This record gives sequence, structure tokens and C-alpha cells, in this order.
Amino acid sequence: MSSGNRPSRTFLKLSPLLVPFVALFMGGLFMAVAQSLGFFLPIPYEGGIFDAYRELFRPHILASAGHSLWVAAVSSTLAVSIGSIMAYQIWQLPERSGRMAIIYKIPLTLPHIAVAFIILVFLSQSGVFASIAHQLGLVKTVRDFPPLLHGTGGAGMILAYVFKEVPFVIILALAVLRRMDPRLVETARMLGAKPTAVFLRVVIPHMLPALHTAFIILFLYGFGAFDIPFLLGESSPAMLSIETYNLYFRRDLVNRPTAMAILVCMFLFSAVFIVLYTRIAARISGKDRKL
Amino acid sequence: MKTRIVLFTIAVFSLLPLSVLALYAVAPGWRFPDVIPAEFDLRAVHYLLSQAGPVSRHMFSSLGYSLLTVALTFIICIAPAHHFARYDFKGKPLLEGLFLAPALVPSMTFSMGIHWLFIKTELVDTFPGVVLVLTIFSYPYMLRALTAGYQAFGKEYELCARNLGATPVQRFLHVELPLLMPSVIAGGSVVFLVAFSEYFLVFLIGGGAVDSFTGYLFPYLVSSDRSTGALMTLVFLTVPILLFIFIEIGISRTYRRRGIY
Repeated sequence: MSSGNRPSRTFLKLSPLLVPFVALFMGGLFMAVAQSLGFFLPIPYEGGIFDAYRELFRPHILASAGHSLWVAAVSSTLAVSIGSIMAYQIWQLPERSGRMAIIYKIPLTLPHIAVAFIILVFLSQSGVFASIAHQLGLVKTVRDFPPLLHGTGGAGMILAYVFKEVPFVIILALAVLRRMDPRLVETARMLGAKPTAVFLRVVIPHMLPALHTAFIILFLYGFGAFDIPFLLGESSPAMLSIETYNLYFRRDLVNRPTAMAILVCMFLFSAVFIVLYTRIAARISGKDRKL
Repeated sequence: MKTRIVLFTIAVFSLLPLSVLALYAVAPGWRFPDVIPAEFDLRAVHYLLSQAGPVSRHMFSSLGYSLLTVALTFIICIAPAHHFARYDFKGKPLLEGLFLAPALVPSMTFSMGIHWLFIKTELVDTFPGVVLVLTIFSYPYMLRALTAGYQAFGKEYELCARNLGATPVQRFLHVELPLLMPSVIAGGSVVFLVAFSEYFLVFLIGGGAVDSFTGYLFPYLVSSDRSTGALMTLVFLTVPILLFIFIEIGISRTYRRRGIY
């Protein structure tokens, strides 16, 4: 079937995807870049071509960027760590209980806004945990319970992401573990490796490619997503997505280039992050192999 | 013992939140500091029944655009997936990476620009517009699943059918598609979930003119009456859960009976 290799045939077979990709994805990005530079705006633009990007150095926008990075980094690190440990535990279960463990997938079917709602129900100052703390005699009034959802480094958002994302990591990690030879773990044990050593030095290296993929996906999702911050986020510093939304929809049209400039920077950051992360991960695992 | 601890932990994290929502649904007056609601009443349930019309309208609309998104992602990904799995060509790794981008980079970065394009082409606030934006956001899951599916079985099946004189359409329908079905289901489930639970994109492109269950749910979730929000969330969950039960039981059993998987 060497005829399938001709460039014209490649182009033809990829075109069902290539056309919407170029028109919508690249088109959408192009519009964001153009509007950030002052073109195609609904109102006449009077500023200089890079004025919108100069706006990005304002302290509250820099604080937003820092906040987004923080929430993304903490939530994805926690989700990947907890998920990999849980996947290993589920993998070790006897077959019948293993099938029961399938309920771990339930949080995956919840939309993000519903997960945010659950966090609200559990963690707000009058929530379920506050009530339990009251029964245990730890707090007397609503105000004694720590305000986790307001002004404490995005704790509510982080927990919402972790709750939703742990099952996702489990799915990816389990898929890899199911292909791993169980005798590897048995051998390590027989040679006297402690349970933590087995996990860290045999199981983790096996799951690593899947964990890297999961980390990239979850980190960038936490960094740029809108749904959970819209329900759980604080107003200052706001997550970048909320900041952009406010500039785009809630304030004057003059702010549109700034909103688009934020989006362009978020895109560039994501692209650079993916490339750098995969390179570094590949280099580290390459070194491992030489040893 | 250890087995029990693991299962118990999983059960706590996946079932407890839903049980709390179920309790809230029948106890609108539940508040601090009661751990168990002091009284129960069916106010929220009665309200839900009175809203049967709007609830089912939004539900069907969400179901409609999500299923159409699954169908459209399948249509645009099937030929490229075959090509990626079967042939090597110049720039293949780069293209494979690029095609994953819409699922990796923040969806806002391209959807705000799409919003402008759709205003100009009058696709904004329309059902097809919503399906298109959800498709561009979620097709990478379908593409990955189909490519992996094609890679899982060799090209011998296609070659054999071809040598026996099957036309391309026959080959696709009777040879490739049955073998690909598990991947189609896997990819389709993810695409469905992503589309069905998406709030922002539907709200941005649909603009309230296209009904969606997430858009309908949102005001209930932010209102002070947690009871209705909890009940509506549970109603929402029934669709994906029923769908997965149906897939798990129905389709995989059919396949097992035929001895394919």
C-alpha cells in the first residue's frame, strides 16, 4: 500500500481534520492575536500596537498570573501523587474487589460546576465539615471555622480540582499498570525491598510516562479553566481566566485588547510549557536508561 | 483488611458527596450545626416536578448537542486516525502534537476568537455553533482513541478483505468498524462527558439562546437554596451514569458473546 504515502493523499486524508483545525483553532487564535494588537475591534482603536501587552505588567494582572500558576501547580501535583498511589492500591486488589473499586470513576461524571458546588457544601463556614467540627466541640459559631474558600491561596479551587482529577489520574495510571508484569513487584519484594521502595523504584518508573501526560493535561487545565474559579474563586487576586472574562464582558470595550493579550500570553505559556516539559522529561528518562 | 481500607476510602470519596447532596435534596432546612438534618420535607422534589418541562427541555438540548459532537468528532477523525496509524510521512510527529493542542491549551485562548468569528458568520447563539465549538475542543480524545484502535490491529485485516474483493465502504463497515468499536466507545464516552459537562463554551457561544443543562443548573448552584441545587445536580448525573451502565452492560456483553473481546 505504498500509494498511501504520497503527500497529496496524506493531505486528502487529513483534510477532514485539517480544515476545522485551521479555520476554528488557528482562526480563533489568530483573532485573539489580532485583537490584542488593536485590529478587528468593534470600536476604533487609538493606542499603539503593543499597548495592550504593556498593560499586562500591572501588579493585579501579575498577581493573577501568579495565583493561576499556584493553583495549577498545587492541584495537579496533588492529583497526580494521590492518583498514582490509589492506582497502585487498586491494582493490588483481588479481582472481585477490584471490580467494585470501579466506583472511583463517579467524580469524573460530575461537571466541574457541580464539583465546585460540592466543595461549597462541604467546606463553607456553615458547611458539612463545619457542622462536624461543631459536634466535635472544635468550633462554636460559624465564624470559628477557617474561611477556606476565601483568601487562603485558592484552597477551595485546589480541592475541587483534586477531587475531580484523581480518578482521571487513576484511569491513566491503571491502564499502564495492567500491562506491567506483576512478577516485577514480587521479585522486588523477595529481594527484600520495603513497600515504599517497591512503589517508588519499581511501580512509579513504570507509570512515569502516563503520569507526565496526566500532569501536563491537569496543570494546563487548572491554569486556564473557567468553570471552577467562576464559582469558587476570590476576586483579588482573581484567576487569569476570570480576569480575562471580566475585561471582555463586564468592562468597557477599550479593555478588549488587554483581555486578548492575556489570552495570547496564556497560549504562549502553555505551548512553551508543553515543549519544555516533554523535553526535560525525555532527557531525565534517557539518563535513567543509561544507568 | 487492607482491601477493606482501600475500598472504604474510595467509597467515602465517591459516594459520600453524592449522599450529602441526596440528603440536602430532601432537607431544605438543613443548616449549621446539624450533622444530620433536623427535619425533612419534599419542597425541592415538588419544585423539580413542577419544573419537569424546562428540566427535560434543557436536558434534551444538552443530550442533543453532546451526541452530535460525538458523531462529528468521529466523522472528522476517522480518516486522519487511519492515516496516522498506518503510514509514516514527513512532519507526522509535529502534526500529531499540533492536533492535540485544542485539548491541552486553555480553551479560552481560542474560543474567544471563535466567538468573534461566529458573530461575523452568524453562528453565535445557534445550535450548530455550539456543536462546532465543542467539536474543536474535544476531538483530540476521539483522534487518540481511534489512532490507538487502528494501531491495535494490523493492516492484515484490511489487506485480506481487499484481496477478497471488498470495496472500501464494505471494508470499513464490515471489517474495520467492528474491530474499532471498543475505541469508538472509549473515545466517544470521553467526548460525550466533556461536551455534556462543559459550561463555559456553551455559555459563550450559545449565549443563553441554546438550552443547556449546565447553564440551567448554574443559577441553582449559586443560589442560597442549596436543596434545589443538590437535587438538580443529582438529576444531571443520571444521564452520564445511565449511559455508562448501558454501554458497560449492553455493548460489551454483545462483544463478549461474539467472542471478539
